[in-house]
Amino acid sequence: MKSSIAAILLAGALAVPALAQTSGLPLPSAVEKELEAKASNVTEVTLDKNMLGFASKFLDKKDSDQANAKQLISGLDGIYVRDYEFDKEGQYSLDDVENLRKQFAGGDWVPMVHVHEKKSGESTDVMAKMVNGESRGMFILSAEPKELTIVLILGPIKMDQLGELGGLGGLGGLGEIGKTVKKADKSATKGGGE
Amino acid sequence: MKVLAAVAICAIVLMVPVVVLAGGGGGFDGVVTTLEHRYHAHATRIPFVGLISLVAHKATTGGVSGLHVAEFDNFNEKVDGDELNNIVEEKLGAGWQRMIRDTSKHGAEQTLIFAHPEDDRMGLFIVDLDGQEMDVVQISVDPDHLSQSIGKYEHHDHDEDNSDHDNNSGEDSD
Repeated sequence: MKSSIAAILLAGALAVPALAQTSGLPLPSAVEKELEAKASNVTEVTLDKNMLGFASKFLDKKDSDQANAKQLISGLDGIYVRDYEFDKEGQYSLDDVENLRKQFAGGDWVPMVHVHEKKSGESTDVMAKMVNGESRGMFILSAEPKELTIVLILGPIKMDQLGELGGLGGLGGLGEIGKTVKKADKSATKGGGE
Repeated sequence: MKVLAAVAICAIVLMVPVVVLAGGGGGFDGVVTTLEHRYHAHATRIPFVGLISLVAHKATTGGVSGLHVAEFDNFNEKVDGDELNNIVEEKLGAGWQRMIRDTSKHGAEQTLIFAHPEDDRMGLFIVDLDGQEMDVVQISVDPDHLSQSIGKYEHHDHDEDNSDHDNNSGEDSD
C-alpha cells in the first residue's frame, strides 16, 4: 500500500513540471515549428497567471487607465503572443493560416470577426471563447503578406478591453487590433460587409 | 588509512572547482561558462558588481538586488536561436520560465528573458545578443518596491515638466 502511495506521489511530482512546460500556447508544436522554420524573425511572449500578477504590480493604482488594466490583468489566466516576420511575401501559405484558424474552430470558440482587405492581402480574425454566455478568452490572428501575429488571451476579457492591455510592455498593438475590429463591426452593421 | 582518507578528500576538494568551471554548474555562472566554451568567447564580469548590487538594493529600497552582469565583446560566432535557448534553459534548470524570446534566423539578434518567482520577488535572467555584443544579466526584483521607486522619479519628472510649463507660460505672458 505504502509503495503504491509513493508511486502515485512520484508520478504526481513528475507530472507537475511536465504540465507546467505544456502550459504555453495551446497550438500543436508542429504548426509553431513550421512557421518558425520559415520566418526570419520570431518573437514570443508567454505570460502565465504568475507573470501577469508580476507585471500588474508595475501598473499605477492611482492612474485610472492603469488601474483598469491592473484589474483586468489580475483576472486573466495567460497572454500568449507569437509574431513571425518573413523576408519575402508568400513564405507562409493560406493553408498555414487556415490550420491556425482550425485550432480554434468549434468547441467553446466562436468566430466574432473576420476582416479581409483584398487590396493589401491583410486579414484579421477574432474568436472568443464563450462559456455560459461569458467571454473567457480571445484568439486574434492577424495576417499580413510578410508578418503573421497570433495573440491568445485566456480568462475573462471583452473586445473593448483589448486597448487596456496596451499599458503592458509590447502589447500596445492590441489597442490597434481593437480599433480595427470596432471599425469592421461598424461597417458590417452599415451593410459594408467584410 | 587516515592518509588515504585525507588524499581522497583533497582530491574531491580540488576536483569540485574544475567541474564547476567546466560548465557543470547551473545558474548565472553555469550559463556564462557554457556560453564561453560553446562560442569560444571570453565574458567580462563587471568589477565590483557586488557593491553595485548593494547600492542598487539600497537605492531602490530592496526593489532590485542580486545583480549579476557578464558582457561578451567582439562576439563573432554565428548563433542558432534554438541552441542558445536550449543552453540557457538547461543551465538555469527547473523553475525558470521563458517569458520573452526574440530570435532572428540570421543570428545577429537574440533576446531571451526568463523569470523565476521567488515569493514576493521575481528573478529575471536576460540574454541579449545585438550584433557583436552579448550581455547576460541576472537580477532579483521586488515589483512593489521597484514600482514605488520608479513612481517617485516619475512624479519628480512630472513636477519638473509642470514647473517648466509654468515658467514658459510666465515668459509667454511677459
